[in-house]
Order: sequence, then structure tokens, then C-alpha cells
Amino acid sequence: MKTIALYSIKGGVGKTATAVNLSYLASHAFPPVLLCDLDPQGASTYYFRIVADKKHNSTKFLKGSKKIYKHIKATDFEELDLLPADFSYRNLDIELGEEKKPEKKLRRSLGDLSTEYEYIFFDCPPNLTLLSESIFTASDLILVPLIPTTLSLRTYEQLLWFFRENNLDSRKIKPFFTMVEKRKGMHRDITQEHTGKGGFLESAIPYNSEVEKMGLYRAPLNAVHPNTPAARAYADLWQEVLRLT
Amino acid sequence: MRQRTRSTLYRIRPESLQADMNEKVGVPYSLVRQSAKHRNLQFYDSFEWHAWKKKSAVCKRGSTLSIVSLKTGKEQASSPMRKSPSNFFASDIADDAVRQHLDSFTPLRAFIRLCRAEEQVDQYRILDDNRKTVGHLEITTLTLREKNRKDYTESFLTLTPLRGYRTDSEHVAEALQKAGLLSGTTSFSYIYNQLLKAAGISPGSYRSKPSVRLSPDEPVRESARKLLLATFRIMLANEPWLSRNIDTEFLHDYRVALRRTRSILAQLKGIFPPEELSRFKQQFRELAKRTNNLRDQDVYLLEADHFGSLLPAPLREPLGLFFDDLQHAHTQELRALSRHLRTRQHAELLHTWESFLTEPCQASGEDTPNAALPTSTVAVGTIRKAWKKVIRHGRTIGPEASDEDLHSLRIDCKKLRYLLEFFSSIFPKETIGPVITHLKKLQDLLGKFVDLSVQQDYLHHRITSPGAHSQQLPATLAASLGGLVTALYHERETVRQRFHDTFRQFDSHHTATLFSALIDHYSS
Repeated sequence: MKTIALYSIKGGVGKTATAVNLSYLASHAFPPVLLCDLDPQGASTYYFRIVADKKHNSTKFLKGSKKIYKHIKATDFEELDLLPADFSYRNLDIELGEEKKPEKKLRRSLGDLSTEYEYIFFDCPPNLTLLSESIFTASDLILVPLIPTTLSLRTYEQLLWFFRENNLDSRKIKPFFTMVEKRKGMHRDITQEHTGKGGFLESAIPYNSEVEKMGLYRAPLNAVHPNTPAARAYADLWQEVLRLT
Repeated sequence: MRQRTRSTLYRIRPESLQADMNEKVGVPYSLVRQSAKHRNLQFYDSFEWHAWKKKSAVCKRGSTLSIVSLKTGKEQASSPMRKSPSNFFASDIADDAVRQHLDSFTPLRAFIRLCRAEEQVDQYRILDDNRKTVGHLEITTLTLREKNRKDYTESFLTLTPLRGYRTDSEHVAEALQKAGLLSGTTSFSYIYNQLLKAAGISPGSYRSKPSVRLSPDEPVRESARKLLLATFRIMLANEPWLSRNIDTEFLHDYRVALRRTRSILAQLKGIFPPEELSRFKQQFRELAKRTNNLRDQDVYLLEADHFGSLLPAPLREPLGLFFDDLQHAHTQELRALSRHLRTRQHAELLHTWESFLTEPCQASGEDTPNAALPTSTVAVGTIRKAWKKVIRHGRTIGPEASDEDLHSLRIDCKKLRYLLEFFSSIFPKETIGPVITHLKKLQDLLGKFVDLSVQQDYLHHRITSPGAHSQQLPATLAASLGGLVTALYHERETVRQRFHDTFRQFDSHHTATLFSALIDHYSS
């Protein structure tokens, strides 16, 4: 089993769109795949038309895979399952704080799931907390989507700093650009300067209004419009990720 | 393994097939029609129901061969299969998973087509109010398609929830049931059994061993007649299949039934009129003789891979010629047997034998002094005698364990085995079971020994005399056969060396106690 986290300190950078499309692509290449929606806003869950069970909450999530099992739901795509987000996930940090080794708790909670799925994706909440740390420890790869702006790059620096402070393995972090608009000079300059260098991935996702429409048709872009520029870019990104795992 | 959700099958009322399901699934659900499939179905099993006994069905649906569990209705394995043969072997299947399943049912027997059917499947997705798929709904109509059989149709509805949506699927089932469309649940195994029943087939009906419950106090002639009749039914069940040469076990079972018959006639003395007895014995001996070569050839053909593996690679290829000749001889031999089975003489034998077994027989007279003895008395007497013979004979076999000694000991063991099996129903299972197990170990060794001897002799004979259509034996083939004789010789000598140990285990205090318990069972 391989675990991949989609993480960003900043919201609105196309993190969830990437998680949804990559997990969909992975489910075709290495079935079956589980997408864990850990972001209390539940955008991944919404994209798959799923509503979480009422009894699903953070305490149960931390009790491990037996409890997790019950809440996993099939998406409309055969080899892709989803662990729905729940509003109560906002308390995961508090719960984790009461654990003895919070940073390792998530890995242990996943337990048996590791034999069931080939790939597990985490769609992470946009903040830096105990939960984030737990996710970083549990993941083989941490994909960080960045809009090519100076502000965005700063958040990436902050993340690297956090890893150094907490003795985490920063080699897992793989940033890549999203929502790239070629006509903007700043976007052009920043992507040219960083792409493929200093840990940055080669693939970049262009700005595409189709990605925004995912909220309307509520399905992965790669399932509905696989030939749009953004969908092709996700496919390239998946190939690159595959080489890294 | 990823958890799969379980489907539930419901019986549909015939009138419901016309109903608009979409209106009946209940709020907030709706159906989206997916596809409609029409497929031909064929069901297979071996003559001895090997798959059915392991709670499985072998089913060809469209161009896919699958193994379905009769307990859960779930597909265990499947692989593409273009042709629809009337029969096939496990080894014919290329796909590993399917072949392993079939092989675990039986590697030796052919899977024969039981019946043909058609299925019409209409598939729907069940959506909730978010238009999220929560499950699948299928309506299946199964129709038997067999000549000379009335059309039989069974309709059922399958609900398969997606993971995490079982409650939704239950709501849909409740709504459909409330609307009066469904009438209770059903299962794959029930539907399969109904279909076979409609095709006039009863699963598990054939057994290669006669199972007759005898009563210890009944006159032995009655018991013998019952046993012989059950054995005769086995012969009759196999006979029509012999000429079709589908697998080797029809002939094997036929021969075993013949041998059992002859053995009981020979060992139960003084219960049938001697004149009739000797006539039947003679006729059955002749019939058995007609099958001898065929069985030998079957064994060589079955051993083809093993023979190949005994030889170094360069000597393997010439064996092809040997097997070609053998196949040719087998075809001729089979033709001769089939011809015989169609003769009036053979029909006459079957007829008179059946009458002999079923018609009331003359009261016992001077020539049948033992006919009225209780079954238990004869059982104990004959088993004791046969057992003592095996022990006495075995003990006289010297350290060299000659071919003749082992050959004739094997025959003694066989006689004892048949007696034990014939009378097993009048003894407690826990007494007779271990006795048979111990005897079987000895028999396995002796059987192996004799087979290896016969094979060596046959191959040697093949080297020294010309084959069926090759006038002169090519040098390469002679070398291969020579190699085989040597290999089989060594194999046989290893078996011979194990004889004394194996016999000592049989001729032990423990086995003697078991036999005594058996023999004393009716003496108190």
C-alpha cells in the first residue's frame, strides 16, 4: 500500500481537485483505492455526491480501522472508495492531543486498510496542527499544490521550516504548480524558475474553468472530460507521482 | 482483500415483470436503466457431481466460464471461454484460478454439460436524492432450453448495495415488497436446483460405491441380492457412456462394479444355485476380459506426463510415437467393446442377471445350504476367513518378496476389502472404518507394485515385438522405452523394499484388535 497526502497551508489552491482526480486515475491503474477526506469542509465528499453517516466522528476515526471500515463508502466509480469528511473532524486535533504518540496515531488507525487498498490518498485540511503532523508521518509522499505567486511560495517555505523544526523527513514533500495562467507574467516567471528544480515536480496544472465546474457535475474531471487540458495535466501528474512511489 | 457487498435475491411475482419499477422503489430513490443483456447459460459438472459435492456450480455464462459458490451465490473465479464443448477437463482451462478450482473438484473426470438455459438481465442503478449511486438492481429471467423438456422460467430480482449503502438497499427492498412486487428472498442454489429439476436431473444421484443398508438378521441371500442389484445399477449407469470415451472413470467404475459382482459370487458360497452361479461367473469373467486392454491403455495415457518426467529431455520426444500407437490401439479396442455391448448376447446377460436378482427365487434346497443363514453370520465368517488368509499369506513372504507373492497377496487383500465394504452397513462405523483404513495402506503399496510390474512387462514386450502400425521400432523410441523400463524398475524396487514395513504395520497387535472387535461384534 502507498499513501499520498494532498496538503496545502493555504486554501483554494486546487488541492481537493487534485486529490479527486489523482485518486480516480490511481483507481484505474492500481485498484482498489481509498480517498480519505480529512478536510472538515468535505469538498472531496461533496464532489462524489456522498453524505457522511451521522454517527461518524473523530473519536471513531481514531479508534482504528474496524471503526473506519463501517464508514467507508463506495463512489460511483468501481475501484474507488471514500472515507467521508465530517464536520467533527475539526476536533481531531484535540482528540490527537490526548494520544500518547499523536504523530504515529494515524498510521496505526489505518491498520488493516493497508492490505485492502493499493493506494490511500489523504485530502488534508489547510492548516498546520497535530493532525497535519500525523498525516506527514503516515504518508509516503506529500504533494503540495502551489499557485505560482510569491505568497504561495512563502507558504511552501513555512512548510519546509515546520518540517525542519519537527525533525520530519522533508524529502517526502513534492510541490507542483496549479491554476497556472500562461498569460500572467508572474505565473510564467515563477513556473519557469522552479518547475523541475529543487524538489518541484515537472507537471503543472493549467487554470481551466472545467475544474471549477466539477462542483456542478460532481464527478472527477478525468471521468467526465478526460481530454480537457487540465485533465491531461492531471494524467501527466499521476504518471510522475507513479514514478516516485 | 477489499470488502465486497453481498447481493440479495428476491423472487418476483410474474405479474410484477410488467410493472414500472421506478415508481415503486420509494422516496427518495430512482432507477436509471443501465443495460439489458441476453446470454446463453450452460451448466457443467462431473458424472459423480464433484463440483456439487463441494457446494459449487460450474457455469458458462455468455463466453465466460465461472465457478459459483452454492452457499453464497458469489463467483469464485472466472475466465473467458469461447467454445461451448459438451464436456471438458480441468486441464483444458488456461486460466490459473479457474483451473485450480476445477482441479480441486476433480483432475480426472470430465465436466459434462448438464443443461442449457438462457438469461435476460435488465440492469439498473439506484440513485438517492443527491443522484449518488447507492446500489444496483437487476431483474433476471432464466429459461431452461432443453429439447424434449417443458419450458421452465424463473424470475428474480437482485439488489446489490454499494459499500456503505446497505440501509438504502434495504429501504428499496421494503418499498418493492410493500408494493407487492416481490415474494420473499431466494438464492442461487435454490434456482440452480430448480433448473436441474426441470431438466430432469437430480444432483448427487450417482455414487460409484453401492450404498445399501443391510440388516444383520436378514437371510444372507436377500442381502446378497440387494448388494448385487445396487452394483448392477452402477454398471448400468456407466455402460451407455463407455463408447463415448469422455473420461477414463466410466470404464473404471464399470470394471470395479464387475469385479465386486464376481468377488461376491465367488466368496459367498452355497447361497445361489451352483449351475446358474457358474454360468454368470463365466459370463462376467468374459465381459471383464473384454475391458482389460482398454483399462491398461487408459492408464498409460493418463501416465503420459509422468513417463515423460522419468526420462531425460532427449529421450522424451520419441515417446510421442509410442503414445500415438497406444491411442490407435485404444480406439480399436474401444470400437470392439462398443460393438459387443450392442450385441443380443450382452443384452441377454443384462436381462437374465436382472431377473435373477429381482424375481423371487426358489426356496433353499440342498444345493444352497447357506442361503437362509443370517447376514451377520456369513459376514463375520467370510471376513474372518479372508483376513486370516491375508495374514497367513503375508507372513510366508520371504525377505526377497517375489513378484508372484506380492501379486497374489494383492488379490487376497482385494477380496477382503470387497467383503468389508459389502457388509460395512451392519457394523458400527467406528469399528469398520479404521479396519478399512489400515487395509487400504497395504493395498496402496501392493497396487503400486503390481502396476509398475505390469507397465514394465508391457513396455518390454513393446520393445521386442512390433507395434500397431510401425513395422520396425525406431532406435530412438527403443532407447526411450528402454529408459522407461529402467526407471520403472527402480521405482518398483523401492516399493518392494517398503513391503515388509508396511505389512508389519498391518499385521500388528493394533490391527488384530480391530479385526477381533469386528468379528466379535455379533458373538455376544
